[in-house]
Amino acid sequence: MRRLLVVGLVLALVVAVPAAAQGPQKVKLGVLKLTSSAVLFLGAERGYFKEFGIDPELVYFQAAQPIAVALASGDIDVGATGLTAGLYNIVAGGVPIWVVADKGREWPDYNLTALVVRKDLHDNGVRTMRELKGRKIGVTQIGSTFHYNVGRYLEKEGMAPGDVELVPLQALPALNDALAARRVDAVATAEPFVSRLEAAGAGVTIVQTGDTFPWQIATVMYSAKFAKDRKTAVAFMKGYAKSSRHYFDAVLAKKSGPAFDEVVALTAKYTGASPDLIRKGFPYQDRDGRLMPGDVGRQTVWWHAQKLIKAPIAEKDIVDESFLREALKELK
Amino acid sequence: MSARPVVDRARVLERSRHPVARVVGLAGLVALWELLTRTGWVPALFLPSPLGVLGAGVEMLRSGELVGHVVTSLGRILLGFALGALGGVAVGLAVGVFGVAEAVGTPLIAATFPIPKIALLPLLILWLGIGEASKIAVITLGVFFPMAINTYAGVRHADPLLLRAAVSFGAGRWSLVRKVMLPAALPMIFAGLKLGAGTSLLLLVAAEMIAANSGIGFLVLNAQNLMETTKLMVGIVLLSLLGLASHYLLTRLERAVIPWKADA
Repeated sequence: MRRLLVVGLVLALVVAVPAAAQGPQKVKLGVLKLTSSAVLFLGAERGYFKEFGIDPELVYFQAAQPIAVALASGDIDVGATGLTAGLYNIVAGGVPIWVVADKGREWPDYNLTALVVRKDLHDNGVRTMRELKGRKIGVTQIGSTFHYNVGRYLEKEGMAPGDVELVPLQALPALNDALAARRVDAVATAEPFVSRLEAAGAGVTIVQTGDTFPWQIATVMYSAKFAKDRKTAVAFMKGYAKSSRHYFDAVLAKKSGPAFDEVVALTAKYTGASPDLIRKGFPYQDRDGRLMPGDVGRQTVWWHAQKLIKAPIAEKDIVDESFLREALKELK
Repeated sequence: MSARPVVDRARVLERSRHPVARVVGLAGLVALWELLTRTGWVPALFLPSPLGVLGAGVEMLRSGELVGHVVTSLGRILLGFALGALGGVAVGLAVGVFGVAEAVGTPLIAATFPIPKIALLPLLILWLGIGEASKIAVITLGVFFPMAINTYAGVRHADPLLLRAAVSFGAGRWSLVRKVMLPAALPMIFAGLKLGAGTSLLLLVAAEMIAANSGIGFLVLNAQNLMETTKLMVGIVLLSLLGLASHYLLTRLERAVIPWKADA
């Protein structure tokens, strides 16, 4: 009898242990080590994802485009980065990636990306887009968010895309070096590189993108495989929305205070950047993580007009806010 | 007792040319590739079909895009290659002929030759800017070293018997260089040229991936950034064709210049 009991206990343990060991669902999350990833660092650090059974594994990338490629190949489940022509070409090429939530907008009074002109040119009166006609503007890549910025600045001034020469320099640090060495006349870049150029006396900001034209520059994206796992995909959005609300209340609404400093310290820990630089570059985003309506469609139409993507993409083929809507309904 | 036929055991060393196998191998690979993409098993985004690549190439040719890239790249390669080859031959000859030049030159070349020239690119950009000069300079450097080293080796290995014969017939230093040493070094010089051609393609692509607005390297990188895999393949095929063309041209040139080594 006793022996039977022991055997039974052992059996029960053997069956129960793997079930318990399953625990939270692992989710591979591709991010850049930049201030703009603060919401995701916050979610991971504060346990907002764990609360809904998600164990986020942060995977660091150097640029937006490789994140899009990793989403397409299924190497990561979720990506959080800028919207590039390369990403749109992947979707236009028949491999779905879903844009599911806001992760950063160009917005008035919030510094994110900007156009910085060489100090000596600025001193000689080059202070608007018009005066940059025929000059060289450094961008990271053709098809990047910075390329989009320059294109839209030109449009706003009634100028043509060919009125300036875009010089692709591949990486943000290279842009700073090129401007300081006077190899280009202006650069389209992002915080904290904007602040660094101004602090070094190498350049002067002449356009703050957010003040000129607000747009949906960065988003959270799901791989096709992850989007099919509806339960986990919605659970991830619940954690994200909670994290986003925390970010909005502590960082965007206040712009100072102990809750603000806490997010600064945490972002400094994850990015390795100095807290002073981080303070200047928190991008705006919706409190609930909702996307700017229709903006993704507008972007694809613009890229298509530049002949850089094969076809404009209908919003229904790339944007899916249903995960977020479902999550928000249950969060209330 | 029947005579046993003699087996030519050296036959394993004989290699026939198998002209059919050459064509079938390449065509088979392309056909398999096309088939693989046709089944939809591999998305066209990751592996574009050969026909798709051909179509994109024709389209780019028609729009003039391709010609622009090729002309820009060829200009850079030809200039860099010519400068590097001329400099390399001149330095190689000097080091081979003059004792002082050899004493000064060989340690210098030995110290600088192993540096991968791509590593010098950031420095060249700093010195010469992001324009044409730095791109041409890196190709020049890449071609210079194999040329200098091969020319030097070629000169040193000139047949001493021929040299002595020329001297005893009253040849001066210059006619010795011109009529004996240089011709003796030619096979090595051509080997250096072929080596340099490959290196210059490699360096061209690397240089054009930094701050270029046109050229084949730019085409490849830009297509990667925009995730236009078909265009990316067009660029790669183009590079392969350029490599084949340069090898073919150099081989033809070699046969014309050194007929006594024609079949080597």
